[in-house]
Amino acid sequence: MSRDWKNRSSFLSRRNIFLGGGAVAWGALTVKLAELQLFRSEEFETKATENRIRLDPAPPHRGTVYDRAGRILAGNKRNFYVTLNPEEISNASLNVADVVKQLSRVLPVSEARQRSILQDAQSQERFLDIMVADDLTWEDFSRINVMAPELGGVTAEVGELRSYPYYAAFYHTVGYVQKANDKDVLRKIEEDLKAIGQTPDTADGQKRARIIRRLYKHPQMRVGKQGVEAFAETALTGEPGKTRVLVNAAGRVIDRLASEDVSGRPGSDIVLTIDAELQNYAIQRFGVEAGSATVIDVKTGEVLVMMSTPAPDPNAFVSGISQTAYTALLEDERNPLYHKAYDGTYPPGSTFKIVVAAAALESGKMSPEDRIHCSGRAWFYNRYYHCWKPEGHGWVNLHTGMQKSCDCYFYAAAQRTGIEKIAEVAKRFGLGHRYDLGLTGGKAGSVPNDAWKRAVMKEKWYDGDTISAGIGQGYVTASPFQLAVMCARIAGGPDTPAPRLVAHGVAVPGSMASDMGEFQPRSLDLVRAGMFAVTSEPGGTAIRYGEVDAEGLLPPPYTNARMSGKSGSAQVRVIAMSERNAKGEAIKNDKLPWRLRDHALFVAYAPADNPRYACAVVVEHGGSGSSVAAPFARDILAATLKADPGARPAFTPKAEVATLPNETEPT
Amino acid sequence: MIRRESILGKLGGMHWFLLLTIVAIAVFGTAVLFSSASSAHDMQTGMAVLDARYAVEHAARFGVMMLVAVTIALAPLRLWAGLAFPAYFVGVAMLFGVEFAGVVVNGAERWLQLGPVQLQPSEFMKLAVPLALARYYHQMFQGQNNARYWVHLPALAIVLIPVALVLRQPDLGTALMIMGTGLAVIFFAGISLRIVAGVLVLVAIAAPLAFYFALHDYQRQRVLTLFNPEADLLGAGYQLNQAQIAVGSGGLAGKGFMEGAQKELDYIPEQHTDFIFTIIAEEFGFAGSVAVLIAWGVALYQGMTIASKSGSAFGGLAAAGFVSTLALYVFINIGMVIGLLPVVGIPLPLISYGGTVMLTVMVGFGLLMSVHLNRDNNIALRGII
Repeated sequence: MSRDWKNRSSFLSRRNIFLGGGAVAWGALTVKLAELQLFRSEEFETKATENRIRLDPAPPHRGTVYDRAGRILAGNKRNFYVTLNPEEISNASLNVADVVKQLSRVLPVSEARQRSILQDAQSQERFLDIMVADDLTWEDFSRINVMAPELGGVTAEVGELRSYPYYAAFYHTVGYVQKANDKDVLRKIEEDLKAIGQTPDTADGQKRARIIRRLYKHPQMRVGKQGVEAFAETALTGEPGKTRVLVNAAGRVIDRLASEDVSGRPGSDIVLTIDAELQNYAIQRFGVEAGSATVIDVKTGEVLVMMSTPAPDPNAFVSGISQTAYTALLEDERNPLYHKAYDGTYPPGSTFKIVVAAAALESGKMSPEDRIHCSGRAWFYNRYYHCWKPEGHGWVNLHTGMQKSCDCYFYAAAQRTGIEKIAEVAKRFGLGHRYDLGLTGGKAGSVPNDAWKRAVMKEKWYDGDTISAGIGQGYVTASPFQLAVMCARIAGGPDTPAPRLVAHGVAVPGSMASDMGEFQPRSLDLVRAGMFAVTSEPGGTAIRYGEVDAEGLLPPPYTNARMSGKSGSAQVRVIAMSERNAKGEAIKNDKLPWRLRDHALFVAYAPADNPRYACAVVVEHGGSGSSVAAPFARDILAATLKADPGARPAFTPKAEVATLPNETEPT
Repeated sequence: MIRRESILGKLGGMHWFLLLTIVAIAVFGTAVLFSSASSAHDMQTGMAVLDARYAVEHAARFGVMMLVAVTIALAPLRLWAGLAFPAYFVGVAMLFGVEFAGVVVNGAERWLQLGPVQLQPSEFMKLAVPLALARYYHQMFQGQNNARYWVHLPALAIVLIPVALVLRQPDLGTALMIMGTGLAVIFFAGISLRIVAGVLVLVAIAAPLAFYFALHDYQRQRVLTLFNPEADLLGAGYQLNQAQIAVGSGGLAGKGFMEGAQKELDYIPEQHTDFIFTIIAEEFGFAGSVAVLIAWGVALYQGMTIASKSGSAFGGLAAAGFVSTLALYVFINIGMVIGLLPVVGIPLPLISYGGTVMLTVMVGFGLLMSVHLNRDNNIALRGII
């Protein structure tokens, strides 16, 4: 029986089949092992290394923005900040909420900030640092450093923070930086991949995208949101430094490895043509009024002042402005967030008469001797058009029409010249298109004609529209910046260079400005004479504001200089016939609520006989251009002549890195 | 005829070669477990970090289990034959118990709480089923009836009942192992090869059908990952991908004892349990991996030799059944780790950290050695006990 069972079951042959099967299975295992360990071992070795080694980017030093004299408009100051790390906190057997509470007793951490820290600790990867507070004073920083050994997972670091020494004055033009949101990061990834010609779905593309995402998660990293900071973001940012780090499977950094290129490349510095002291003067001169001021150097085209007020302090945005503060800014009826000089479009009002006069003369439709009788109103087509002076000016010609800003004269001039010629000349004076200057935004305004109206308003041009255009109302709109360009061109003539804001550091594509082209010298001279009369001949609307060097203190050639200019009032509402009283007067500005008052405009250049600087001032809801905007323009031009920034070329930055001093630095 | 021998005599007659092989594998396993918790150059301090926690426990367990195995070996084979059916019934009863009163661990009801002790009946069945089958066939062969097809039907039932119960837990891995072992014993018992071929054809047809209709999503996913590990590197393919990286980067001779890098940085989950082979592959390379295969191959070959030298059907079939179990463990575990088979939770005996497998395997080895010691005896079996 003992041998029998094996025969009954043919056990021995079964055993052999089993052993044979086992050999095959073992062989398969060996073959697979050989494939992995002998033939593909290099591939896996590489993957093993890639697994573990990550490139951690460090925020690069952001380029500084200077004014033409080398004053810092946007710089980096030493920033003391505190971060916490959720993974380290839990390793120390604490929890994030307690640590935050402890910290908030010693540091300024708002309730909202505490909530957002807790939220970040839940939602993002645990090994990422979270910013608790930055821009700390030296005292707070030292205190945290002393406490740090007791507080697990809290680190006090020194880094850089963007700082704007001129506060509100450059909020719009220079702009500000903030932490990047998801859209910003996506945009950055797109730009980077496009620059190296990669697509996002390749392995290389994904690796680069990861590095960029990691960079923008760094608590110090910021991205420009507005102004020059945004336009020149790529130039200002530079290249992040990359440290090679060893990471574990959770992404936690275990070790730092030898890396080249640890500090990367700092961003380029940018020099603007602006003069910071003048810009500061302008914003302070405006006081509580809202509006804008632009000053352009007639000889070089450089923009010396481009100011919009009121404006918030950009420093408040860098670390994150609170929702309530931001909402308050949004809802403020004086529009502090709006760049009034570059993005604001207004009807130019009587300042447009410069264009109409030039067009009338150039086309030959009006000669300087032609006289119009102003009775306070004029009948065109099917209605009365009123002059601002209800009693009328009597007989006026081009010169006196400009001097007194007689609307009736210009109604007639416009009618005779025709809108097409007016539009052509307006464009030659720089109106109707957007300027590329090197900041975000910029409006084109509108220089209407028949084609424009059909395209935009789907209507044909009516003759009455030309009449309104004659005094710069109706469909004509321009930004204060464009008005300054217009003024620079009338002052400087056809050789006036195109306006520039950036002196060094970033390439700004050409302005696409229309060429001024040739004018008959007589046309321009007559218009200039008219503008001189506005400020310097009795009867001129701004006669009180002609002197920019009343005491003769300026050195030649500016001694006793006078300014030439043109006032304007832009209506913000339509004056209905029913509003006019028996004399044909409309309600006076000072009797209206602020937001219904006319805007006050004034464009001017000085010195009148040898123009150097041109400016455009808009005081929102200021009422009368000649009494409200003219004094601002005069003072700003006076300050400009005194400083004479155009006499010196813009500053060229040296290679060294500029850092701003902290307020309380220990010596 | 049953020869009674003295204990000493039995000790002298032990299969020393098998014993040595087992001890060698277990010692190697201890060393690998030591490496799994330690490192030659710690990433943070740069110095060696030694942590023997797994190694010590493993060695201690092995020591105890070795005594258990020797004790089992010294007992007469008749004892184990007698316990075969009762053990089987108790096991099935426990499986039913798990159905109705099981403790859920890791999403599956597998454990039965008996007082302070937690038992895993499915694991127990891995031994009980081949033993019961061996006993059944022994009695069948005794009776001189010609083994025809119908003889295997009750055997099939003996296999399928526990398999069905284990499947319900759900524990696909163990169920497949019990089925594999059971079918192996039926195969060794002499079922007609034509039937075997027919079953294989049926399996070949049924497998894709089962794949689409009977498997859960995650199970399906594991198979798909095999063919394309790159498809979901962070999800389903992660473990396999990381395992292959560790295995492949070992190269020919490996990185050296304790020098494996993947483990340190926590890249491979379950490294000291199911995926322990990755450490062997990474640290000892192709040479080390093949050495382990050879060591196990030798142990399995010796087991089959013991089976073929056994004087009783019970001994031979029980031995062959246990060898099949062991072979399945080793083949499935290593196959899964290197990406030849889908991921299932099967550890590597004597090397993976964990008590359950070691118990099963050492009991099995004890039985093997008992079969060897009793090879000249034939046992007469009747009834249930």
